[in-house]
Amino acid sequence: MNSVLIWFWAVMIFASIAWYAILLFTVGIKGGYEIVHMARSLSQRPEDKE
Amino acid sequence: MTLAPMDWVIIVVYLVGCIVAGVWMRRYIRGVEDFAVAGREMDLNLGIASLAATEMGLVTVMYAAQLGFTNGPAGATIGVLMAVAMLLVGATGFVIRPLRDAGVITIPELFEKRFGKRVRWLAGLAVVLGGVLNMGIFLRLAGDFLVHTTGMNPDYLQWTMTVLLGIVLLYTALGGMLSVLVTDYIQFLVMGLGLVVTSVLVVGSVGWGNLVAGLSDAHGQAEVYLAKRETEENAAREAVQALRADQGDEAAGALRKRQQQQREEYLQDNKAQLAKEGVLVATAEGKVQAQTMANPFNPTSSRGLGWMYVVWQAIFQIAVVTTWQTMITRVLSARDSRTAAQVYRRTAFYFVGRFALPGLWGAAAFVYFWKEGGLPEGIDSLTAMPAYLHLSHLLPVGVIGLLIAAMLAAEMSTDSGYLLTWATVIYNDLIGPCLRRPMSQKAKLLTVRLLVLVIGLFLLFYGLWYEIPGNAWDYLAVTGNIYLASVFTLLVGTLYWRGAHRWGAIAAIVLGAIGPITFLIVNGIVKSPRWDIDPSWEIKPEAAGFAAFGLSFAGMFFGSLLGRSLGAAGTSSTTTSETREESSRE
Repeated sequence: MNSVLIWFWAVMIFASIAWYAILLFTVGIKGGYEIVHMARSLSQRPEDKE
Repeated sequence: MTLAPMDWVIIVVYLVGCIVAGVWMRRYIRGVEDFAVAGREMDLNLGIASLAATEMGLVTVMYAAQLGFTNGPAGATIGVLMAVAMLLVGATGFVIRPLRDAGVITIPELFEKRFGKRVRWLAGLAVVLGGVLNMGIFLRLAGDFLVHTTGMNPDYLQWTMTVLLGIVLLYTALGGMLSVLVTDYIQFLVMGLGLVVTSVLVVGSVGWGNLVAGLSDAHGQAEVYLAKRETEENAAREAVQALRADQGDEAAGALRKRQQQQREEYLQDNKAQLAKEGVLVATAEGKVQAQTMANPFNPTSSRGLGWMYVVWQAIFQIAVVTTWQTMITRVLSARDSRTAAQVYRRTAFYFVGRFALPGLWGAAAFVYFWKEGGLPEGIDSLTAMPAYLHLSHLLPVGVIGLLIAAMLAAEMSTDSGYLLTWATVIYNDLIGPCLRRPMSQKAKLLTVRLLVLVIGLFLLFYGLWYEIPGNAWDYLAVTGNIYLASVFTLLVGTLYWRGAHRWGAIAAIVLGAIGPITFLIVNGIVKSPRWDIDPSWEIKPEAAGFAAFGLSFAGMFFGSLLGRSLGAAGTSSTTTSETREESSRE
C-alpha cells in the first residue's frame, strides 16, 4: 500500500513541477497576446457608456 | 542568507514592472463593469494566469508548507481534492455556467433575482465579513515568511509590508480588474519561475530517495514515541483526578499546572535527544510543543489527516471552487460561460502543485531539522520552511532574489484580487441596494476606489499593527466557513431548486454560521490549560465543517417548506437558469 502511495506522490510532485514549467511557456506567450488583444478591444469602444 | 546586489535588482525590476503595468491599465477604465470585471474581456490564458496567481498567495505557501512539515506529501491531499473539484466543475459547468450566463457582477446580486433585496444584502454581509476577516491576517503571515527567509530585522517588517500594500493599493484602486489581470499575469510568470526553480533545488539538495526514507523513519520513530506519551498522559490525568477526589479542585488545578510546566521544561532541555526519537520541539510565541511526522504518504491514517477530514475536504473544495468570490470573479470576468469552464479545466492541475510544491519544501524542512538535531529557537511548524530555506543555504545568488520576488508576487496578486473583490461586493450588494437613486458612473467608480483604499487601511491596522489573539488557522477556518457553507447552499438552491424560498435562504445564512462559531468558542475553552477539561471534547475542524454545511442545507430545506406552507412571499419560484432561458426565448 505504502509503495503505491509513494509512487502516487512522486508522480504528483514531479508532474506539478513539469506542469508549472509548461504553463510558464504556454500561458506566458498566449497570455501576452491576449493582453494586447484586450487592450485593443477596450480602446476601440465608444467613448461614453452612460 | 544575505541578499546580493543581483537579488535586489531582480526584486526592484519586478516591483517597478508591476507598478508601471498596473497604472498603465487605468486609461481603459470607463465604468464599474470595467473596474470590477474587466469589461468581461478576459480570455482563456489570461484567466488561467489570473486565477492561478490570485489563489496562490504567500499565505497558501506558508499553510501548504506547514501541512508538508506535519504530514509530508500526504498534506497535499487537499490540493488533489481541489484539482478534482475544479475539473468536475469545469467539465459539467455546475454553478459556474448559469452564474456567468446570469450576467451579474457578484454572487449576492444573483440572489436578489430569486429571493429579493434583503437576502442579497444579508448574503453580501456574510460574504464581506467572511472574506475581509479571512484576509485580515495575510500580511502578518507574509511578513513571517520574509523575516525567516531573509533573516530581515523584524522591526522593519511592518514598514516593508506597508510599502508593499501601498503599491498594490495604487494599481488596484486606479485600474481595478484590468490592472489586476495584467499584474496577475506578470506575477504568475515570476511566481511560477520561483516555484519551479526552488522545487528543483530542494529535490536536488535532499534527493527524493533520501526524503522518502527520512520521512518514513521519522514517522516510525514518532509512532513509538506517541504510544509512550499517551500512556504517560493518561497516568498524569489519573493522578490529577485522584488528587481532586482527595484534596479538592484547587490542589488538582495546581498539580495540572505543575505537570504542564514540567513537560515544557522537559521538552526544552531534551531537544537533541527527542530529535533522535523523531520529535522536533517547536518554540514560538511563548509556547513549547512537540512536533512529530504523521504518516507521510497515507492521508487517511488515524494519526494523519484521517478519513473524515478527507471526505469533508472533498465537499468543502466543491464549495470553494463554486462559491469563493475571488474565484468566481474570474468566472464573471470571462468572455462567456464556455471560456469560464475552460479556465477551470485548464487550471485544475495547478492546484495540486499549489499544495504539493510548498508541501515538498515543508517536508524537506522536517527531514533537514530532524537530522540537524531539532528546530532552532523561536521556530515552529509554520516558520520551519522559510527557516530551512534561509539556514540550509541551498539557494544561490539570483535565485534568492527570484524566490523573494516570486513570493512578493504571490502576496501582491492575492491582495489585489481580494481587495477588488470585497470592495465590489460592498459597493454592489451592501451600498447599491440601499440607494434610492442610482449613482452616476463617475460616482460609482469613485466609491469602489475609495472602498479599495478603506479595506487596505483596515488590513494594515488589523493584519499588521494589531496582534491577532489565538491560532491563525482556527481563525482562517472559521471566517472562511461562515461564508462558504451558507452561500454555497444559497447558490445551489437559487440555480437548481424550484422549491427554494426566501425564508429558507435566510435560515441557511444564519444556521451556516453556527457550526464554525461553535467550533471557535468550544475549542477556545478546551485548549485553555484547565485541569478539568477533557481534551477529547475538542471539536475537530471536519465536524464543524460538516455541521456548517448540514445546518445550512437543513435551514434552506425546512425554511423553504415552512415559508411555502404558510404562503409567505418567496419572491420567485423559478430557478435562475429557467428565468434566463425564458428571457432568451422572448
